[in-house]
Amino acid sequence: MDDAALVQQILNGNSNAFRFLVAKHQRLVLHVVGRIVQRQEDVEDICQEVFMKVYSKIGKFRGESKLSTWIARIAYNTSISYLRKEDRDELSYDERPALVAGETDESTHRQPLENVEVKKYLMLKIEELPVQYRTVLTLFHLEQFSYREIEEITGMPEGTIKSYLSRARKILKEKLEKVAEIEKTNIFTEYA
Amino acid sequence: MLNDEKHTNADKWLVDMLKSEPNFVLPDNFADRMAEKMSRKFAWSLYLHEFAIYAGAILGVIAVLAAVHIFLAGADWKSWTKFAGENIEIVVSTAFLLFFVLFTDRVLLRYFMHRSKIDSV
Repeated sequence: MDDAALVQQILNGNSNAFRFLVAKHQRLVLHVVGRIVQRQEDVEDICQEVFMKVYSKIGKFRGESKLSTWIARIAYNTSISYLRKEDRDELSYDERPALVAGETDESTHRQPLENVEVKKYLMLKIEELPVQYRTVLTLFHLEQFSYREIEEITGMPEGTIKSYLSRARKILKEKLEKVAEIEKTNIFTEYA
Repeated sequence: MLNDEKHTNADKWLVDMLKSEPNFVLPDNFADRMAEKMSRKFAWSLYLHEFAIYAGAILGVIAVLAAVHIFLAGADWKSWTKFAGENIEIVVSTAFLLFFVLFTDRVLLRYFMHRSKIDSV
């Protein structure tokens, strides 16, 4: 079933069509909401809010973009509104978000990590990145959206998206290499 | 050479890791629950829409009858307004009762029956 037919079925009140839409896009919404909000206890409520907004606004979907892009935009806007309500500091759209500018990462000076823990450690490091970085990383790598689509979803210019992606990857790579250095082993051997 | 290889491996490792699922979960029945909510919302707005049509039709019929009486049968509308003004409580309560019964019949009862049907399923 293509997007237009699915939308028409939902507008006709077919709850199975809506169930299908939710099942198809819940992973995308969960990733966007989860990476922005980062609180498991709130994630489910926000995902519900996103899908109810999708249902309320589905009559306005004109098919100019993919349905997944349109849903991701609603998920992104809802999550950002939630963060604003929570009054978090990380929402500034500076070119150099505070965490990155001149940061020193104390956690890499602690005792060496076990190889199996490195992946978990880097997942934590992603969560510590500024919200803009986490968002573009998730949309680009996890959901495989193009720069154009990410621009549509977030409203950030393409150049900013590329710059955030490149900086985020650089930060994570540096952390990864620091860990490898502390470990004094090559943690990447499985890829050699 | 060895350093380049290390960088390439780090890049591959990183890209692979960025594609791995974050640790957030939704309940298994999330889609079912959303479909249920949607079904309730759809039923409510449908019944409300139908109620608005019925209410509009009733008001329309009353307006047409009044117009026929006043313009064709030559009824005195001043005596009507005088009657309505003197018996305002009866007129308002009759209109309220009429629309309440209509709302209960067309919206509330049907909505609760729809809900209980969904819950039983």
